[in-house]
Amino acid sequence: MASMLEFRTPGFNPYAVKYSPYYDSRIAVAASANYGIVGNGRVFCLGLSAAGIQIEKTFDTNDALYDLAWSEINENQLVVACGDGSLKMFDLGVDQFPIMNFHEHRRETFSVCWNPCTKDTFLSSSWDGTVKIWSPTRNASLKTLPIGCCTYSAAFNPKNPAIVSAVSSDSNLRIFDLRTPSSAKYHLTTMIPVHAPPSAGPVLPRLADGQTYAGAVPAEILTHDWNKYRDTVIATAGVDRLIRTFDIRNPTGGPLAVMAGHDYAVRRVAWSPHAPDILVSASYDMTVRLWSDGCMLPPLPENTIRSGAQVGLMNRHTEFATGVDWCLFGAGGWVASVGWDERVLLWDANTVLGR
Amino acid sequence: MGALDRLSALGSQLSGSAGGKARILEKNADDIVVTACLRTAITRGGKGQFKDTPAADLMAGALQGIIERSGINPALVEDICVGTVLAPGGGATEMRAASLVAGFPDTTAVRTLNRQCSSGLQACVDVANQIKTGMIEVGIGAGVESMSTQYGPGAVTEFSDLLESHPEAANCKVPMGVLSEAMAKDRGVSRADQDAFAAASFQKATKAQAEGLFKEEIMPLKVKFEDTKSGETKEIVVDRDDGVRAGVTAESLGKIRAAFAKDGSIHAGNASQVSDGAAAVLLMKRSTAERLGQTILGKFVAASIVGVAPLLMGLGPWKAIPKVFELTGITKEDVDIFEINEAFASQCLYCANELGIPQEKINPKGGAIAFGHPLGCTGARQVSTLLYELKRRNQKIGVTSMCIGTGMGMAAVWVAE
Repeated sequence: MASMLEFRTPGFNPYAVKYSPYYDSRIAVAASANYGIVGNGRVFCLGLSAAGIQIEKTFDTNDALYDLAWSEINENQLVVACGDGSLKMFDLGVDQFPIMNFHEHRRETFSVCWNPCTKDTFLSSSWDGTVKIWSPTRNASLKTLPIGCCTYSAAFNPKNPAIVSAVSSDSNLRIFDLRTPSSAKYHLTTMIPVHAPPSAGPVLPRLADGQTYAGAVPAEILTHDWNKYRDTVIATAGVDRLIRTFDIRNPTGGPLAVMAGHDYAVRRVAWSPHAPDILVSASYDMTVRLWSDGCMLPPLPENTIRSGAQVGLMNRHTEFATGVDWCLFGAGGWVASVGWDERVLLWDANTVLGR
Repeated sequence: MGALDRLSALGSQLSGSAGGKARILEKNADDIVVTACLRTAITRGGKGQFKDTPAADLMAGALQGIIERSGINPALVEDICVGTVLAPGGGATEMRAASLVAGFPDTTAVRTLNRQCSSGLQACVDVANQIKTGMIEVGIGAGVESMSTQYGPGAVTEFSDLLESHPEAANCKVPMGVLSEAMAKDRGVSRADQDAFAAASFQKATKAQAEGLFKEEIMPLKVKFEDTKSGETKEIVVDRDDGVRAGVTAESLGKIRAAFAKDGSIHAGNASQVSDGAAAVLLMKRSTAERLGQTILGKFVAASIVGVAPLLMGLGPWKAIPKVFELTGITKEDVDIFEINEAFASQCLYCANELGIPQEKINPKGGAIAFGHPLGCTGARQVSTLLYELKRRNQKIGVTSMCIGTGMGMAAVWVAE
């Protein structure tokens, strides 16, 4: 793996990494002192050049940082999710201080996602059990979606700006449609118990290897991501070490595919922007793995759940791997991963195939 | 926000693990483990070798066995729970006395409970839960029944007008045999299938007895026995189940007349026997077992309790087993042995067929049809029958389950180590 680039974040343990949607040479990392348990946070804005990875800018915060999202309308701005419950927007042209501070969450903010369609809103999820939708120009949130328990990750649908998804510690994947009236359900349209087997059907479904899939016990869901090609498909993963894919049109149908292999909880999953069946995952087992969910293969018999295949393994991190993201540009396959080993690694996924 | 909260959230993300089989096979310090389990022989009610031995004496013997076999300091046992069904007053006084006789100090608390045929299992589960919550550190789940001395019409008081006026409530007192007969007819379990299942139970038990497979679980007891012919009372050592009959076949059972209806299918040969016996299970956390140098035989994983219609009492395992699978995330393929109590061949067979459990996984050493069903004892008895057999076969995961009078079912998952 000669082509791997490395950057160190001394004194800070990264939690998230994101490629800029505007430049193939710009990356941001959200990191925290003392593993995010107590202490400051720091945003690293990194530039790739012939000389390697170099710091373009850093911003310090008073509490740990757990996630970040690049602005989709301004190539110099990004938002970070902060341990004190706030979201802070930084501009690369403005030193030191955030240009906006959004503080409504009453506990740690764990995720932030910019609306990729309309580009005029972003959302956040928090340990306080809510998802909030914000305008970058207003200090107060536009909308609050109640979840009721620690919500580790929330995201916008990549094609439809009104559809929001969230996964939480109660083992559920929730889908909200902001076009529905805010009735008693606060836009909630679908709830998928991630651990559960399909509820319909007279018999339990089989996995491709012939084993019956009876589901599992509820477990915290730490991450999820929308497929970039099939806009009804979501991958989830978390404490039970499994990655599952679901089609939100069939909420009681159980998972489409199950991917097993990680030895500890999965912290982050990201679908490839270049292939409909490929996703990458980062786990507390210190590995980053590439998977194919098998959606390109011929269909399986009725009532069968596909076992996704691990197609690659990157094991250069020496501590928990916490963040991973795909570069949107180029021939496809460049991945950035971060871990508690205070390192940012950039590598070509094609070089780890077959492991 | 709180650093401690963040730390414990991270900790729980790490300690959470793969679902299903891999998860229950893990060995963690806070597992509830079994470090000794045993039973007395089970003997025929009214004429067997324990016919003159009261329940408390059986229990004292079993508890003594636990101390001897585990070598545990009795003062470390903080609570004993005894499942017993027929004892007047719940047997509370006698069982406390039995624990003192067995050698436990007065600091060891004792209680009894009654959940009918699952009392022994419920006792083990209650003690496991007490340990899990930190209420106690070491406890014994046990069960006993002397049907010879305590079986009879006195077991249920007369139903009030209020109970009688409610149809489903009134169904609670329909005798087991009558409702099982109706259920067998309703669910289409044929006499031939029941007899074949019952004969297999006898054959498996005969074979297991001949091979000495019950040796490890049975604690021999020395008791007084009155010979009804000579009238003379002597001391005997009871160390084998006397209800097991060799040479029973489906054909020989086919000749027995049905007991509950003229055209019925249930008879003495394909229903559980009326019996006497006791069983006990010593439970503690794995960390405690390691500190005390106890040998770990297996661990308790989870248990389920469900209700069904009183008249369909026999369906209990059919509903309880999937529920315990849901709680543990395992499937029937993951389970190596099912100990499902054979209250009646009809209900046991029906549940197994409905759940799609292969015959060779059910009661490999026979069941209550062959050696008896001392009501309160059975749930605790199944633990030793299961764990020793899993160990002998070098297998891991077992389920114990039973139907419960008045319409309930219980199931538990155990792992042998």
